[in-house]
Amino acid sequence: MNDPAMSVALQNRLWRAVADGDEYAAVDVLSKALSEGLDEEALLLDVIAPVQERVGAEWAADRLTVAQEHAATAINERAVAALAHRAPDGARRSAVRGRVTVACIDGEWHAFPARLVAETLRLRGWQVDYLGAQTPTQHLIAHLHRTNPDAVLLSSSIPTHLPTAHSAITACQAIGTPVMAGGRAFGPDGRYARALGADRWAGDARQAAAALEEGFARPTPAALRQAVDDLPHLADQEYTMVVQSRVQLVRQALADLEDRFPAMRSYTSEQLERTAEDLAHIVEFLATALYVDDTELFTSFLIWTADILEARHVPARSLLAGLDILAGQIRDFPRALALIREGTAALGGRPARPVPGSETPA
Amino acid sequence: MPPLVTASRSSSTRARSADDTVGSSWADAPCPVLVVDRYGTLVQLNDAARLLLPEAVSGNRLHETAPSWLSDAHRKIAGGPGEAPATPLSGSINERIVLAHPTAAAGGDVVWWLVDDTDRHVAEEAVRSAQTRSQILTEASSTLLSTLNVPRCMEVAASMAAQHLAEAAVLVAPAQGRRHPLTYAPRGGPVVQVSRQIDTHSVPGLPEALQGFPPVPARWIDPSVLPDWAIPEGFTGPVGSVIVTPLPGHGVPAGALILLRSSTEQAFTEGEEVFARLFAARAGAALSAARLYTEQATITATLMNELLPPPLQRVHGVQYAGSYRAAKDHERVGGDFYDVHPGSDPSRETLVVLGDVAGKGLDAAVLTGKIRNTLHALLPLADDHQRVLDLLNGALLNSRHTRFATLVLASVRRRAGRAQLRLTSAGHLPPLIVRADGRVEEVPSRGTLIGALPIVTAHTVETALDQGDTCLLYTDGITEARGGPLGDELFGEQRLRRVLAECGGLPAEAVVERVQMVAAQWLGTGRHDDMAVVAISAPRTGGLSVVDGRRGTGRKDG
Amino acid sequence: MTNLPPTPFTVTTDREPPTLTVRVAGELDYDTCGELVDAVVRELYDAAELRDVRLDFHELAWIDSSGLSALLMVHRHTSAADTILHLDHRPGFLDRMLRLTNVLEHLTATADHDEADERNGDVTEAGAT
Repeated sequence: MNDPAMSVALQNRLWRAVADGDEYAAVDVLSKALSEGLDEEALLLDVIAPVQERVGAEWAADRLTVAQEHAATAINERAVAALAHRAPDGARRSAVRGRVTVACIDGEWHAFPARLVAETLRLRGWQVDYLGAQTPTQHLIAHLHRTNPDAVLLSSSIPTHLPTAHSAITACQAIGTPVMAGGRAFGPDGRYARALGADRWAGDARQAAAALEEGFARPTPAALRQAVDDLPHLADQEYTMVVQSRVQLVRQALADLEDRFPAMRSYTSEQLERTAEDLAHIVEFLATALYVDDTELFTSFLIWTADILEARHVPARSLLAGLDILAGQIRDFPRALALIREGTAALGGRPARPVPGSETPA
Repeated sequence: MPPLVTASRSSSTRARSADDTVGSSWADAPCPVLVVDRYGTLVQLNDAARLLLPEAVSGNRLHETAPSWLSDAHRKIAGGPGEAPATPLSGSINERIVLAHPTAAAGGDVVWWLVDDTDRHVAEEAVRSAQTRSQILTEASSTLLSTLNVPRCMEVAASMAAQHLAEAAVLVAPAQGRRHPLTYAPRGGPVVQVSRQIDTHSVPGLPEALQGFPPVPARWIDPSVLPDWAIPEGFTGPVGSVIVTPLPGHGVPAGALILLRSSTEQAFTEGEEVFARLFAARAGAALSAARLYTEQATITATLMNELLPPPLQRVHGVQYAGSYRAAKDHERVGGDFYDVHPGSDPSRETLVVLGDVAGKGLDAAVLTGKIRNTLHALLPLADDHQRVLDLLNGALLNSRHTRFATLVLASVRRRAGRAQLRLTSAGHLPPLIVRADGRVEEVPSRGTLIGALPIVTAHTVETALDQGDTCLLYTDGITEARGGPLGDELFGEQRLRRVLAECGGLPAEAVVERVQMVAAQWLGTGRHDDMAVVAISAPRTGGLSVVDGRRGTGRKDG
Repeated sequence: MTNLPPTPFTVTTDREPPTLTVRVAGELDYDTCGELVDAVVRELYDAAELRDVRLDFHELAWIDSSGLSALLMVHRHTSAADTILHLDHRPGFLDRMLRLTNVLEHLTATADHDEADERNGDVTEAGAT
């Protein structure tokens, strides 16, 4: 029934519908697949999920505009909703396993992966409370007090939400609810989930379901702890200082960049704002790498950004200039300096792509 | 310490000379003293020693008279270099705990000074068990207080009671309706929670304990009268002792604990009873806190459900999408609202309203509820926006306060492939329209805010959406979001227009998501007000063909 | 933009019959607007010798909807006390808000002439009813 060749064929058909913005065609693909006997979980995880991955990849390669990406995601989301509403209520699956909460970390607006997990768990017989994107931690905790689920699944895609994720994880555990973390933010192997003290990590929806089926114990009051207990390096305050001076760092870096690239003086305010946003991103990832004390978090962000920039014909050496300027501003922070040095080296080690005709930084 | 006697080094003859060397000091000593020769024969003992060892007489072998810990120690000292051990030996002799201090006497004899240490030992034992109990109480408190969920709290309380106080515990909660929630916890077994109709009078003392006031002490009851429901499944063997202890709540009864022990275990001591009472006090406090919290949270949730914006969907060939992000400040419930009232058939207009009440908190939220209800009642008059606003204004005017609302009314009807719009702003930010090609226009409707002035005026603007056009209604939470890469800057209308310019031809959901996402990024982790957005779109493809959430998949509805 | 801390909210009253001048500095919002109403009401208690109440917004840093609600309340009180309300030195954002919500005329109805009206050439979104 779950034939890989069939999945790929369906993926291609769904992708065409989604890329065309043709919602009807998208739902049609799924309806036909269902009527041909493909099960719902396979549709969610082997057809819709890979297509959504592709949406992100096509945007990164500058083959979709950001608006088209939103449109494609909206269509995928409606396809999931259509599947969720398809079967008659009640008759289908009364929750037999237990109750879980699925939510995105506050600030995380990529709700799609969490939605897929929530629907998968429902299909497997769990009673799921899906709280959606950007769930403030205090709302989450209030919800847990009210519903007392067997576990809470926290999703995050962007690593810069890891510090917020950490406080959410410890807060859930402090009230006796075990936490499973998932999503790209927690690293390809879930290493940041472990560093932040999550009880479990799941790489995808199936792993999440399997781990839940296995069951895991509630944290005891001994789990009560503070951030620095998990991450002793935070005691050096570098993370705190970088976060607190984020705005000043960006302003100063912007001014220094203008000195180095006089062409920037003729930038529109919109262009300047984009540059400031890029710098703010670098500082945010730097701070997050300081938080989890992991170089790769920073270097992989820089390489990814360089690829994105070059796909848009912006030379990646503007990133190097930004790093160089930031290094000058944070001379007193040895861990941060080391990160910037590693980041610079990683960017230098990339195969350079020729970028025609652009002399300006991001 | 007893008076120490130094052994005489000069004495080398083996003679019955202990008296000579130690004098009579040991004979009168208040503590028991034994003089034992190097071969383990009891040479002398004083009166105190005779009391401790009534059987002993001179000439006895020590190992036949005294416990082995003492005779073994003697063998070691007498046979060895004769040095006293660094720490005093301790052991029991005839139910007394004694410390044994050896000193060397003439001729290789050893004088054993035995100091009764029983009282200190008993006291230390008591302290140790008090420490253990206070540790248990501390652990109980932190575990119990970590949750505000009533069933979970009862589960924790019952299982800790079964672990530390008895072999099994049954927690009886005050009745909900006619049933009592019951939590059964056998020691080491799984906790079972059921809701059951029980006769509380079948357990003596239980009705009083459940009333909570006046305070009643924990009460012993005859195990033989215990009804079946009060014995957890898996509790094997006869019930030996049972105690019923109330869980005192804060003004509200929190329930009662029935503690059971089997016949093989001894009954509760007085100390254990006190301990059970202390535990019950903590469990009761935690349970009543959880119960109060749950009541409040339920009330809030019920109110919030009334006040939360509805999910939107396609109506009569026009897409509607909305999104609401409440202010982070938890207790400040929001003042933004929106609704879509579908026309009774495709030829009738659908009324969309989005607004914002001045102020924050529950007062503001309650006012949004009032506005939404009033507007619902005024739907039959929706043909005339000015009239609706006049009536709404009259309904909201209040001599005591000047809390006002600003809002936008949009009447939408699909005709000949276009969505016809009548838009009226009552003191609200003007709607923006993004055309399919990315042009952004402001809808120039203006009017007076609602609810503070005796007379309001407004004027309505008519326009139309072609395929791929979207009209965006939003609250100032979006444009007044503070943040950005340089910090503390307003998001502003210009940025909103720039975002919209990228959204030509997108479905309504995608526009809403894009706007909320960019605003969220702008904010970062900063504080924000409520942010509400509604998008009205004329779908791009002619076949308005997709999912109508109410009816399921794959049906064409246009 | 600067990194200076925001101006703290203050209300200063200056009573020189027949005029009461109330200087409002900082952010007039949900948390602070009660102070403004209280200050005006306190001074109006003995209004016999007052004819004009002038709110001076020269140092107003920001106003939100609660702040506007407070201005409407102040107006109710000044009307009841038979005094004329003037909104002086209105910053652009205040003016925009008053025009957007169509209350400028109401708030200053009996004031013949407001200083701020003369300096509003820079307001881009002129209100219309």
